[in-house]
Amino acid sequence: MKTRVLAVSALAALTLAACGEAPSDEGATGGATGGTAAADFLGCMVTDQGGIDDRSFNASAWEGLQAAEQDLGIQVKYVTSKSESDYTPNVNSLVAEDCGIIVTVGFSLGDATLTAAQANADEKFAIVDENPDADPDTDGVQPTENIKPLLFNTAEAAYLAGYLSAGMSESGTVGTFGGIKLPTVAVFMDGFADGVAKYNEDKGADVKLLGWDKAKQDGLFAGKFDSPTDGKNLASNLIQQGADIIMPVAGGTGLGAAQAAQESGGKVAIVWVDTDGYESASQYKEVFLTTVEKGIANAVETATVETVNGQFTNTPFIGTLANDGVGLAPYHDFESKVPAELSAEVEALKEQIIDGTIVVESANSPQT
Amino acid sequence: MALDTSAPPAPVEPEIQLPISYKAPITMGVLGVFALVVFGLMGDPAKTTTFDLTIGTEAFALPDVAVPSMAFSVVTAVLCLIVAGYALVRARSRRRVPWWAILAFGLAFILSFLSWVAAGKTLPVTGLLQGTILLSVPLIFGAQSGVLCERAGVVNIAIEGQLLAGAFMSAVVGSLTNNIWLGLLAAVVAGLLVAWVLAVFAVTYFVDQVIVGVVINTLVLGLTSFFYTAVLSQNVETWNSPPVMQRIAIPVLSDIPILGPVLFNQSLIVYLMYVLVAVVHVGLFRTRWGLRVRAVGEHPKAADTVGIDVNRVRFRNVLLGGMAAGLGGAFFTLGSVGAFGKAMTAGKGFIALAAMIFGRWSPLGAVGAALLFGFADQLQQVLSIIGTPIPSQFMLMAPYLATLFVVAGLAGRSRAPAADGVPYIKS
Repeated sequence: MKTRVLAVSALAALTLAACGEAPSDEGATGGATGGTAAADFLGCMVTDQGGIDDRSFNASAWEGLQAAEQDLGIQVKYVTSKSESDYTPNVNSLVAEDCGIIVTVGFSLGDATLTAAQANADEKFAIVDENPDADPDTDGVQPTENIKPLLFNTAEAAYLAGYLSAGMSESGTVGTFGGIKLPTVAVFMDGFADGVAKYNEDKGADVKLLGWDKAKQDGLFAGKFDSPTDGKNLASNLIQQGADIIMPVAGGTGLGAAQAAQESGGKVAIVWVDTDGYESASQYKEVFLTTVEKGIANAVETATVETVNGQFTNTPFIGTLANDGVGLAPYHDFESKVPAELSAEVEALKEQIIDGTIVVESANSPQT
Repeated sequence: MALDTSAPPAPVEPEIQLPISYKAPITMGVLGVFALVVFGLMGDPAKTTTFDLTIGTEAFALPDVAVPSMAFSVVTAVLCLIVAGYALVRARSRRRVPWWAILAFGLAFILSFLSWVAAGKTLPVTGLLQGTILLSVPLIFGAQSGVLCERAGVVNIAIEGQLLAGAFMSAVVGSLTNNIWLGLLAAVVAGLLVAWVLAVFAVTYFVDQVIVGVVINTLVLGLTSFFYTAVLSQNVETWNSPPVMQRIAIPVLSDIPILGPVLFNQSLIVYLMYVLVAVVHVGLFRTRWGLRVRAVGEHPKAADTVGIDVNRVRFRNVLLGGMAAGLGGAFFTLGSVGAFGKAMTAGKGFIALAAMIFGRWSPLGAVGAALLFGFADQLQQVLSIIGTPIPSQFMLMAPYLATLFVVAGLAGRSRAPAADGVPYIKS
């Protein structure tokens, strides 16, 4: 009996891991016509486990690469990673294909990218959401000159969302939860918390934030990015505790929160993250108050175009409110419900952040 | 006149001395002392814990119950120790600790913990329990599927795949027809088809059951992910926007304080789950069919000798199990979030398998185990929201930690059906 239970659990683990067999599905679209130099240029991308259709940052990065294809007539392709063990082989397979630039998407590809960059000094890399050279894990490693980090200080935009949510909340309670506790997730929650605090300070209000304690750097997490049923339950718990605006920073898990909001019949609204939820998750469009957007597509497009033109640098790109790398999406259906005064205040805060009067501080903001 | 009672005395059977098992009293004692010291004596005497017993849908609302945190923790911890003492007495007289004592111990321990962890705060008890049921639903369906298969002697590792197939098909058919019942039917059929593959290979062709199960899980994950990308996400309106079940409050019953909204203000799929559990339990232990199934799982050769077609019984039970798990898959879509998502079952099929083993291959035991998982999971969510001294990463381990304790300390030895996993080849 014991052996069977052991066998079963081992196999269960195996199956879970086996979710990613070979790094197989490759999508390639041939470049159009255009200049010969550009037509020979191959822009490549490696996804993380979310896959190309995650409606979030992998999808955005691919959009950016496709935009570069449109602009310059280069060729583009991507390789999907189905598990962590795919990262290194995927990056290496693209190195072997003589890509002009390899875009790796996500924090978790940091180590694979750094190793490949050190082994192939001639190859150019760009990585979304991670700065391998500033990563304490890889301290003592020589900095590389061929990786361009594409980073986003989402705390700034989340700050605006926090202020807006606090102003829009009728119950006086707002909530948030994350997928997994990573710096790129917590940075949203930090900004959101500060935005709520700012509203309370300015208005003498007492709006409560559930699900994230900035001082303790801890809060509510689903433990996974792909389980909408868990997301719905987390959101229901927040709603029961009084929250009427929720910001899920949890990819597919967050869709469950949108469902919970939809079932509330207009009592609960959602602040989406990464890409405008009104379009990327349109089945729930009426519940989205706004989205804390990350301009991943633009950043990838710009980095690719620069590389094609021979202007590649390893200076990190940091998306901020000032360079439109991060921002708030339009309010769409909430346009008429957000008081003019409140939206003007949000605009004013944005200006203050851009000119440096207000500095949004977060331990999770990208370091250069 | 005296009756002659001097009939020869019945031969006295030599009494078998069972070894004294101190496992339960020791576990209870250690946990009880831990509760007394950590939750009780180290608590904050100035704070009160409030238990909120309403959810907002009741006809009449119970008032909140506020208790002094420290005193309440101490009292409940002492209760734990009293039960532990009782368990010790039972153990010394070589008798088993009754299930109600374990339940009473668990309840007192949890109350002691809650009173400590939510000191100075309000704990939504009804919401906690309602969420527990919802988190347990897929586990209970999956575990019933496991019971049906394994009681007949076929190991069902493919529960995860059956759940996923059910979730996928119910979303697709639900979207196309905009009908919840047809969606449910499609989920059952999907589970049936997946189970049919398992049955053909495992029962008809005697292929190793664990290996077939694992392969099926991978196959279903691959197929559903492919169709999700290639078809469902291309046109969400047509393919992936099924109707979602609404809560149905059962009159009168749903007005019972606390348990009413928890048990009787749920969606259709939860009520179907109650029916399924009752049917499986009665069927397995109170009908001729159930006796045959168990015979086939315990001693197929004997069953064969009295004329039961072993492999036919097994084949049918695997199909029945698949139907149960497929129906459970509909919970993920029709019963919860509507749209299908890639790999959305997120390993719940494997937890269902664990719940079945932990529930000792019995339908009701599996329900208890699944509820424990669900409760631990829901509790960590609620506690993360109200704020606790425990880091969130540890909180996420709570369901597994709770299981470890219960399995290692309180549950007795679990024994699988004797012929579980062994193909029956008629010689």
